Amino acid sequence: MRAKKEALVLLLAGGVGSRLNILVQSRAKPAVPFAGIYRIIDFSLSNVMNSGLTKVGVLTQYKPLSLMRHLGMGEAWDFTGRSRGVKILPPHTGFKDSDWYRGTADAVRQNIDFLEKNPADEVILLSGDHIYNMDFDAMLEYHRFKKADVTIGMMVVPMSEIHQFGAGIIDDDNRIVDWEEKPEHPKTNLASMGIYVFDYKYLLDSLYKDREEVDFGMHILPRAIENDNVFAYPFYGYWRDVGTIQSYWQANMDVIRRDSGISPTEWGIRTNIEADGRPADRPPARFGNDASVSSSMISAGCIVHGTVKNSVLAPGVIVEKGAVIRDSILFADCIVGKNSTVDLSICDKRAQIMDHSLVGSGMNHDTSNVLHPKHLYTGITLVGKEAIVPPEVIIGRNCIINSHTDERDYPEKVIADGETL
Amino acid sequence: MLKPSTLAMILAGSRVDELNVLTYYRPKSAVPFGGFARVIDFPLSNLLHSGIEKVAILSQYRSFSLINHIGTGAAWDMIGRNRGVSILPPFKDNSDSLGKTDWYRGTADAVYKNLDFISYHKPEEILILSGDHIYKMDYQDIISYHHQKDADMTIGFVQVDKSKAHRFGIAEIDNEDGDTGGRVKGYWEKPEKPEADWASLTVLIFKPEILFKALHENQISDSFEFGKDIIPQLMKQGKKIYGYKYKGYWGYTGTIEEYWQSNMDLLGDNPPIDMEAWGLRTNMEHRGIRDAQPALLYEDAKVHNSLVYNGCVVEGTVKNSVLFPGVYVGKGAVVENSVLFFNNHIGDNCGLNKVISDVNSEFGQGICVGSEIGAAAENVTVIGWNNHVPDWTRIGEGATIYPNLHTEQWPLVVKPGEVLK
Repeated sequence: MRAKKEALVLLLAGGVGSRLNILVQSRAKPAVPFAGIYRIIDFSLSNVMNSGLTKVGVLTQYKPLSLMRHLGMGEAWDFTGRSRGVKILPPHTGFKDSDWYRGTADAVRQNIDFLEKNPADEVILLSGDHIYNMDFDAMLEYHRFKKADVTIGMMVVPMSEIHQFGAGIIDDDNRIVDWEEKPEHPKTNLASMGIYVFDYKYLLDSLYKDREEVDFGMHILPRAIENDNVFAYPFYGYWRDVGTIQSYWQANMDVIRRDSGISPTEWGIRTNIEADGRPADRPPARFGNDASVSSSMISAGCIVHGTVKNSVLAPGVIVEKGAVIRDSILFADCIVGKNSTVDLSICDKRAQIMDHSLVGSGMNHDTSNVLHPKHLYTGITLVGKEAIVPPEVIIGRNCIINSHTDERDYPEKVIADGETL
Repeated sequence: MLKPSTLAMILAGSRVDELNVLTYYRPKSAVPFGGFARVIDFPLSNLLHSGIEKVAILSQYRSFSLINHIGTGAAWDMIGRNRGVSILPPFKDNSDSLGKTDWYRGTADAVYKNLDFISYHKPEEILILSGDHIYKMDYQDIISYHHQKDADMTIGFVQVDKSKAHRFGIAEIDNEDGDTGGRVKGYWEKPEKPEADWASLTVLIFKPEILFKALHENQISDSFEFGKDIIPQLMKQGKKIYGYKYKGYWGYTGTIEEYWQSNMDLLGDNPPIDMEAWGLRTNMEHRGIRDAQPALLYEDAKVHNSLVYNGCVVEGTVKNSVLFPGVYVGKGAVVENSVLFFNNHIGDNCGLNKVISDVNSEFGQGICVGSEIGAAAENVTVIGWNNHVPDWTRIGEGATIYPNLHTEQWPLVVKPGEVLK
C-alpha cells in the first residue's frame, strides 16, 4: 500500500455544453460519445487512472443520468477497491431550498464535506470536457517543487481563440503574475486548460473566505494570483476543448488522421463498455463484398456493405449497399439505407436514414443554421437521436433534424440549407 | 427462490491432436474463434440463453488459458446467489491407491471423480456438453423432450454426410416423434462402416441415478469415455435412451481444415454462423479486448467480405478473412482466406493466402505464406504463436510452423507441407 497521502481529484462534469446543440439534448457534455466507443469524460478519467490517482469525486448537475450510468462503480478505470473510489456528487439542498451550482467554485464549495472527509495534500480540479493526455503525477511533482498554492495547467493557443479561455501572463519562473478571464483584447496566448492543482488547506481556506466567490476563473484565481503563489504548468501535447460542433467534429477527424497526436490506444484511454444497456460483446465489424472503407474508424458490431470515407462509426452502425458515408460521425446503431448518402454530418444514436436519401447536400456550407447560427455555420448537419429520415429526402447543409422526428414531421421532401426540423 | 434444476458439465479438457499447433498450449475449447471469442463461448452462450446457470467445467490439459478466459463467469451472467461456474481440475485423492492415476483418464472418469460435486447440487437432470463444438441450441428444448419421454438418457444428434459418419458417435433413431426425435435403436462409436447418419453432438442429458450407476460400473473398465463406453453400456442394459434431432448449424472443427472452414462460415452476406443473432457472449476482460479502440482503416485499406475487430489497424488489403483484436496489416500487404489471431503483425508487402496464424506472431516484410495471392489454395498453412518470421521468407502451402521458433531456426524457404519445429 502507498504510504503517502494521495491527491484527491474533483472532476467538474456539470457543464451544459449548449453549443453542442442536440448532442447534449439528453446528456451532459462529458457524456457525449467520442471516437466510436468512448465518451468525452473517458479522457479525463483515464488520465486520472494512468496518473495513479484513485480517489475521485465527480460533480454533476446537468442531465446526469447517462453520465452516472457510464461511470457505474468506476471499475472501468480501476477505481474500485478498499481505498479507491469514484463518488458522484450531485447538487443537494443546503442553506436554501434549492442550491444549484452557481459556478465552478460554488460547486466545489457545496461539496466541502466531501473534501473534509477525504484529507489529502492536494486537490486536483479537472474538467470532464476535454480531449487530451496528461500525467497529473508529473504536474503534482511540479506543484510541490514550486511550493505553489495553486498550479494551473496552461498551453499556448492561437491568439484568435484566447477569448474563450482564462489567460495568464507569466514571469521567467512560470509564476503567473496577471490573469484575464476570457479577454476580448488579449495580452497573451497562454490559455488555462481548466486543470488546477490546489494545496488542500489553501483550497479549503479560499472556499470558506467568501461565499460570493462562485467561480474559479472569475474570482478565486485572480485573488490568488494577486496575493499568493500561483504557477503555470506548461503543457505541449494534444488538447482540445470539444465544446463546439466544429471542434467536436475536428477532434473526431483527428483520431483517424495519421500523426495528429491523438491516439486513444497509445494514451491508454479506458471506457465503460457496459453502459449502453446492451452487453457490449458485439461481434467484429462485418465488411461485405462491395464494401469500400478508407481513412475511417469502424467499431465492433458495424456492418458495412457500402462506402465509408473519412468517417467515425460507433458500434452497431449498418451501412447498406450503395450507401455512402463521407466526413461524418455516426453514433451507435445508426442505419444508413440503400443508396443513401451521409455527408459532413453527425448522426446521434439509432438515427435511421432510409433508402435513397441524402443528408448533407449541396455546396452551401456557409448558409448558417437559421435558429442557431453560432452553432452550425461550417456545413455540418446534425441528425438527432432516433430520428428517422424518410426515403428519398434531401437535407441540406447546417441543418438540424431533431431527435425522434419521423416521416410525419416532414413538410416536403427537401430540407433547405440552414433549416431545422 | 427457485433453485436451478439442471446442472451442466462441460467437457473442456481435450487437446485434439488434429488441431496441432493451435492446441499446443491450450485445450481446444480455448482456441480463439470468430474474431474475438473462443470455442467454448458457444456452449457457454447457449447455456446463458437457455437459462441454465449452474455450470461446471472439467479441464485438465493446459487449463491456464481456459481458467483465465472463464474468469468469474460474469460474462455469461453465471454469477449470483444460485448461479455460478466452477472449474473442476483433477486433484489428489487419498482413498485412491493401487496404481490408479488421479488424472482424468477420460471424460466419464472426469465426471466420476467429481460425483461429490454433483451430489452436492442435487440436480434433477445432468446436462453433459462438449466445450469443443460450434452451434446454437436451446437446451431447454432437449430437456423438455427428455422429461416428456421420461427418458433415462437423451442425446442430441445432428444428421451428417454418411461419408463422414465414421468420425462420430452414430445412432439410428426411430421416428417416434417425427422431426423432434425418437428412441435410439442402435449406437456405434466411430463405426468403420456406418449404417446410420445421426451424429452425436455430445449433448447428453441424464437422470442422475442412471449416470451415477453407469459411472460406477464403468470404473472397472480400462476406458472411460461417454461416447465409447457409457452410451454403449447403457444401450446394452436396455435403458430408455432417446435421441433429439437438432437441425441447425454444427461446427465440429476436429481438423485444421474444418476449423478453417468454420471460420469461413462466419463470412458472406448471410453467414451460417451469425454471432449477432446467436447472441454470442465472451469475456471482454480477457486479453483486454474491451479496451481496444475501434479498427482504423487507413487511406489505402481495402477490406472485403471479412470480419475485423476493434484494435486492428489496416493499411493493406484484407479479403475473406477474420482478424482478431490487435492485428496490423501493413502497406501493400494482402491477407486473403485467412484467420489471424490476436496481435498478429503483418509487415509491408506480405502475402498470406489460406493461413491460420496463432497469437502474437510478427511477420517482417515481403513474406509469402501459403499459395500465391489470388490462387485457389488447397491446404491451410498454420503458424504457431510468438513467431518472428524474417523478411522475405517464403512459407509454402500447407506448412506447419511450431510456436516460439528462434530466429536462427528460420530457413529462407519453408517447403509446402513441411513441418518446422
